[in-house]
Amino acid sequence: MSIFCLGVNHKTAPVELRERLAISEHSVPAHLGEICGLEGVEEAVVLSTCNRVEIYGGSGDPASALDRLVAYLESHFAVASGEVEFYRHADVAAAQHLFEVASGLDSMVLGETEIFGQVKKAYALAQSSGTASRRMHKLFQQSFSVGKLVRSSTSIQQGATSVGSAAVDLSEKIFGNLRGCRVMIVGAGEMSRTTAQSLLSRGARSIIVSNRSFDKAQELAAELNGEAVRFDDWETKLDEVDIIISSTAAPHAVLHAETIRRVMERRRGHSLFLIDIAVPRDIEEEVNGIDNVYLYNIDQLQQIANEGRVRRERQIAVCREVIAAFLREKGIEALAALPDGRGSESGRSHPDPSGRPLTHP
Amino acid sequence: MDLLHLILATLAFLGGFVLAAVSWRRGSERPHGLSIPIAVVGLVFQTLFLHERGQLHGRCPITNGAEVLVFVSWSLVILYLALGRAFRLSLLGLFSMPMVFLLQLVAIVYLAVADPGARPPTRLDPWLELHAAMSLLAYGAFGLAGIAGVMYLVQNRQLKSHRPGRLFYSLPPIRHLATALVRLLVIGAALLSIGIVAAFFMDVRPSPLHLLASGAVWLAYALLLAVHAWRRLPPKRLSLSAIGAFAFALATLAAL
Repeated sequence: MSIFCLGVNHKTAPVELRERLAISEHSVPAHLGEICGLEGVEEAVVLSTCNRVEIYGGSGDPASALDRLVAYLESHFAVASGEVEFYRHADVAAAQHLFEVASGLDSMVLGETEIFGQVKKAYALAQSSGTASRRMHKLFQQSFSVGKLVRSSTSIQQGATSVGSAAVDLSEKIFGNLRGCRVMIVGAGEMSRTTAQSLLSRGARSIIVSNRSFDKAQELAAELNGEAVRFDDWETKLDEVDIIISSTAAPHAVLHAETIRRVMERRRGHSLFLIDIAVPRDIEEEVNGIDNVYLYNIDQLQQIANEGRVRRERQIAVCREVIAAFLREKGIEALAALPDGRGSESGRSHPDPSGRPLTHP
Repeated sequence: MDLLHLILATLAFLGGFVLAAVSWRRGSERPHGLSIPIAVVGLVFQTLFLHERGQLHGRCPITNGAEVLVFVSWSLVILYLALGRAFRLSLLGLFSMPMVFLLQLVAIVYLAVADPGARPPTRLDPWLELHAAMSLLAYGAFGLAGIAGVMYLVQNRQLKSHRPGRLFYSLPPIRHLATALVRLLVIGAALLSIGIVAAFFMDVRPSPLHLLASGAVWLAYALLLAVHAWRRLPPKRLSLSAIGAFAFALATLAAL
């Protein structure tokens, strides 16, 4: 009995193909039932996200099962034969692939955590549909352990990968929990909006929006569930906020060191984080020299995001070592050894009549 | 045997530091899982050492410079274990272990070269014991406050430089560091105050130098906390003051 994996992801198929193959959550149980009805397929789990559609399963003859599965997908999702190049893995390679997916190594944003929840959900759906039995249970439980191990023992999650997440990371290193933080947006641009949304998603308390066009400020404030203030009045709110995102179209600085010095005298030791994403810059550079004030401009945030991406890429090899060590220690022999009445085929080669590669250890 | 326990404790703290440093070099955000157990092992050997020296003297084992250094180290470790997690200072071990290692190394050399041996008291004075124990526990708290101050300065520098290094992701947020620093100063000042009050009830009057040194340390920390309560010192200045005050406190220990 072998485990297998068949699928496409953001690396192997463009979005036009992935969206055709995508299986919505409510239709997963029906597909699982049909997949398990295919000859030779004994267990199945469907993982369908915006970046991948993958089917994990168990079979005594994985090569034939995979061919039937491909035919099933092509017929159900109106895909011409050979139009999609599915990747196929069996045994250790299939387990390794799932472990890498659960660890975020196969994600578009390396190390992201959302996929971990999606893998859990996929397994839960298969369980409730009755298509995952002992082998899939063991495999997915192991993938959860590996996912946690990789994240806790490496720095694959460390460092921001976008301007928004860099701003959030810095905010959290200044204030800790963002729950008590108030944010002010000066200049209602797209970048300010996404950065503010990132901060809100991590718990920032409220948003104040100020813009030369008050209508636009009100519009953005309504969207972010915040408060709009007139552009002439935004300086009066400086004492009340912890984070300021500035992105006006002003040709000169709108926030001066002297103003911030006065504000800091009234803040009694509370830090202030200034994010200047305007070009030309809105905030005088000298502001960063004031105690307890931290000023970052767009280039500096971009630089942090770039370094974060590089750092995560460097961690891939370390993560793979962790996964390999896990596989060596636990092995999928344990999966193969589970009683199914037909013994194990783990590690054997499976001839693939279609001639497509079926990766094995 | 007591020296062997001290050496084992010192090696445990060195090991703890090496482990923390390796874990940090590998990029792990959290301290190594063994760092707390190693600190506990170190604490056990420290306690054994202090217990044996206490048995030797028949009183609190702070009869010479080496024992005082070990007692301060013991206070530092016990406060780190008790408060480190509560104050969310996960990396405190990385910074405190080297200090404990160095203090104990000096103590080992001192005892190996010139151990003054048993110094039993003519009469056991509980107020003297309380004074000494509380004062040295206070030094432990002040030491941790100084370490929190160093951590604040490191994190502040990384944030200001716009090039966060590897430590940036491992160190706690600066707001947590500033809060913990103030709490540790308050704990230290409270313990020192108890120690000083106990001194008034001792049978033997302390020497003028002892009085002057203890009073100066207490005054330095009381002033620091009073100024902070009144004017809300910026965290950077508070950190520098905590480091300076601890250096001064250590210097007074050396003078005594």
